[in-house]
Amino acid sequence: MTERRDVLRLGGAAFGAAALAGCDGFWSRVSWALGADVPERLEAPRNADPDPARHLLDRAGFGPWPGDVERVRRIGEAAWIEEQLDPNSIDDAACEVRTARIDSIHVPARAAFAWRPEVLEEQLVAFTLLQAIYSRRQLQEVMVHFWSDHFNVAIGKSLCRQLKTTDDREVIRPHALGGFRHLLRASALSPAMLVYLDGRANRAATTGGKPNENYARELLELHTLGVNGGYSQRDVMEAARCLTGWTVREGWTAGSVAFDPLAHDPGEKVVLGRTIPAGGGEADLDRLIDVVVDHPSCSRFLARKLCRFFVADEPPPGLVDATAGELARTGGEIAIALRTILLSDAFRASAGKKLKRPFRFVVSALRALGADVTGREGVPAALVSMGQAPFHHPTPDGYPEHAEPWLGTLLFRWNFALALVEGRLPGASVDLPRLSRALGAEPGRDAALALTRHLLGREPDDDETNVVLAYLETAEWREHPERAVALVLSSPGFQSC
Amino acid sequence: MLGASAARIGRRDLLRIALGADPRERTDTVLVTVFLGGGADGLHLVAPYAEPRYQVLRPNLGLRAPDDARAPLDRRALDLDGRFGLHPRLAPLLPAWRAGELAIVHAVGSDDETRSHFEATDRMEHAGAKDQPAADGWLARHLRTRPGASVGALSAVAIATAVPESLRGAPSMSAVESISDYRLGGGSACGAFAGALASLYARPSRRSAVPERLGAAGRQTLRLLERLATVPVAAPGVGYPDHAFGRALAQVARLVAAVPSLEVAAVNLGNWDSHFVQDGFVPDLMDVLARGLAAFRADLGEDLARVEVIVMTEFGRRAYENGSFGTDHGRGSVMLALGGGVAGGRVVTDWPGLDEDRLVPPGDLAVTIDYRDVLAELVGRRLGNPHVDSVFPGFVPTLRGIWR
Repeated sequence: MTERRDVLRLGGAAFGAAALAGCDGFWSRVSWALGADVPERLEAPRNADPDPARHLLDRAGFGPWPGDVERVRRIGEAAWIEEQLDPNSIDDAACEVRTARIDSIHVPARAAFAWRPEVLEEQLVAFTLLQAIYSRRQLQEVMVHFWSDHFNVAIGKSLCRQLKTTDDREVIRPHALGGFRHLLRASALSPAMLVYLDGRANRAATTGGKPNENYARELLELHTLGVNGGYSQRDVMEAARCLTGWTVREGWTAGSVAFDPLAHDPGEKVVLGRTIPAGGGEADLDRLIDVVVDHPSCSRFLARKLCRFFVADEPPPGLVDATAGELARTGGEIAIALRTILLSDAFRASAGKKLKRPFRFVVSALRALGADVTGREGVPAALVSMGQAPFHHPTPDGYPEHAEPWLGTLLFRWNFALALVEGRLPGASVDLPRLSRALGAEPGRDAALALTRHLLGREPDDDETNVVLAYLETAEWREHPERAVALVLSSPGFQSC
Repeated sequence: MLGASAARIGRRDLLRIALGADPRERTDTVLVTVFLGGGADGLHLVAPYAEPRYQVLRPNLGLRAPDDARAPLDRRALDLDGRFGLHPRLAPLLPAWRAGELAIVHAVGSDDETRSHFEATDRMEHAGAKDQPAADGWLARHLRTRPGASVGALSAVAIATAVPESLRGAPSMSAVESISDYRLGGGSACGAFAGALASLYARPSRRSAVPERLGAAGRQTLRLLERLATVPVAAPGVGYPDHAFGRALAQVARLVAAVPSLEVAAVNLGNWDSHFVQDGFVPDLMDVLARGLAAFRADLGEDLARVEVIVMTEFGRRAYENGSFGTDHGRGSVMLALGGGVAGGRVVTDWPGLDEDRLVPPGDLAVTIDYRDVLAELVGRRLGNPHVDSVFPGFVPTLRGIWR
């Protein structure tokens, strides 16, 4: 039986509704006013099976913000996908207000050296989190996340902490839904990538320099063709020759990219059986990119990776083939590949079959609760504890996508959930009473059950219902009513999507 | 199993039902790495006292022969094999030596000639090849390539404030300052919450495609939390030194006893950078090291049979003393191997000698055994990982017979 004082706790300020303080609090109120608010009225789902709208938001976004499921149901999934594929059509003012004061993300590479590297990292991580949580351009953010792994730059290496901000702004974000060819070219000339994979040290043997194959190898293995994509060591060396001479300036123009013709190998190259004639100079880069992007392995490799990310760790071959076909036909148009995947039957049938990686778990929890977040302190620290700190994967392959390596992170997920709802996570706060009211739930047990349905996006099954009901009978719950929410966030049902 | 009656079953029962479901899996061998940061002086830890040049190079710091009656006891080496002797402050290691559980590798180090602490440590912990640097750590590569793909909760742990580079890129890696960080909630009781989780992970929703693996991972995590809460901090009377290193080893011993999935634990003992008046503080560090390892050995008891400890440092120090009773950055040093599989009681070395023409400029003990020879034997022979070439890319190890 729920007692009167518990009702008051769950309905009132004692429920840990501590809002962000000071300046952060002011800007978050502005953001609410611009429409990023939790709606007045929400419907707690009554469907027993996963809802297609929720599934779409879980995979093509970082999970629904309160009210998103209702909206997708209203306009239809196809219309939502079209809207998301044209991100500039979406008004994102409420998110922009939150990120407006993160000034270092606008700083050009050469000016970044005037900043303390730790500050650049903290601001870039905060920006990344705020975009993922608050942007309405969710598919764009999901693809930024995808490409940040695909073109991984570990900011612990050398000058990458100074240069990753530029890479994020000028390489990953502008091309996330565009043409893969442009994305690849931008990445090849990104100062961060030239530093991370030693492209800047790749100098022609013909003029007494020393070639460095590091980038050329990853360009073929990780960025375009895949490890069994049909290239040889000879192709790696020839690709490296094409790329000789591109370097990152030092001194007062530090961070800008330059082509040094004297360090470039002027001879003829043969990559993947195609000849790149002598004397191409800096145009060798564009020819090389055409050769690799037009190779059939590239479409297949990208298609498989996208399908693994959006559909299943072992994606259905039919969908991979269809997606590869679209990529090959369009010369690498990412948006068209995504449309193929997201409208497929295989995608629809895959609900609940993927484990959320820590980043998706954390962001989806914050979104589902309509949390108020600074992007600093507690949330990034939680990602560190779960082993997915943004931009810190040490090797060029990016954080793994399949479930296995992430199964050891549960304790840290549970502790994140508890800290979040108990108001112990610095830089993040949730207003559970407000969300309960929007769901039309009576405070107490009713609210706990409505929030359970809201978080799972469906009716809890019998097992889940029994566990939650049993927990609501405990003295611990009466002491900490908010923990019912942490329990759902910690449950297997919220770890997968 | 947990149908409508769940609400009537007590929490403890729920927990027991849920936790009892999985067979207990235990790793065969637990690897404990001890990194002596700062460049520990191998010629001070394990003195080649019989070498005539040693006394010439080390007039103040050098240890005298064990039977040199003219020298005070605290300057006499403890004989190991007639050639080498332990620093007297390392005496607590002698019982392990005599039991054949401790082997010493001398004139060991890296082929990398950098004498920068940061670079040398980084490269040694990554353990890539000279022309093929690795971005991730050798322990991480071992954990990723060793047979059996499953990764337990807390399979790799560093008792440290940050992830050591050797574990960079490891699956399910935790860096904790203390095992007490590994608990549920922020301090207030979470028993009912843990009980509810146990029921949820006992039978994850049928709608999830990862239910079995996810359920098993959840149950394993909860079991771990229960065990850690009940295992005592250290066996009484074991006598760890009152030092962060002693506390870290005590925690590792606790983990070895409580965590069946534990595969790797990394601890460090820093501050060996002895440019100035080395005898003023290095003997105290040796004391902490030796008493710590001795207490760890005693604390483990029979569990020592499935534990291997490897002690290493980024480089040794110059063979001759400098003008301020210290030593500068050098090359070759020592590694210690302590554990159940060690063919111990031996100094394993390809001794290069200390004569002027045998030192490497500007006067360092040469490296005649690559540190990766030692680690590769450990990984390949003792830990049973057949992919030694992936763990140490571009390196062909020579077996030194350190493990049985």
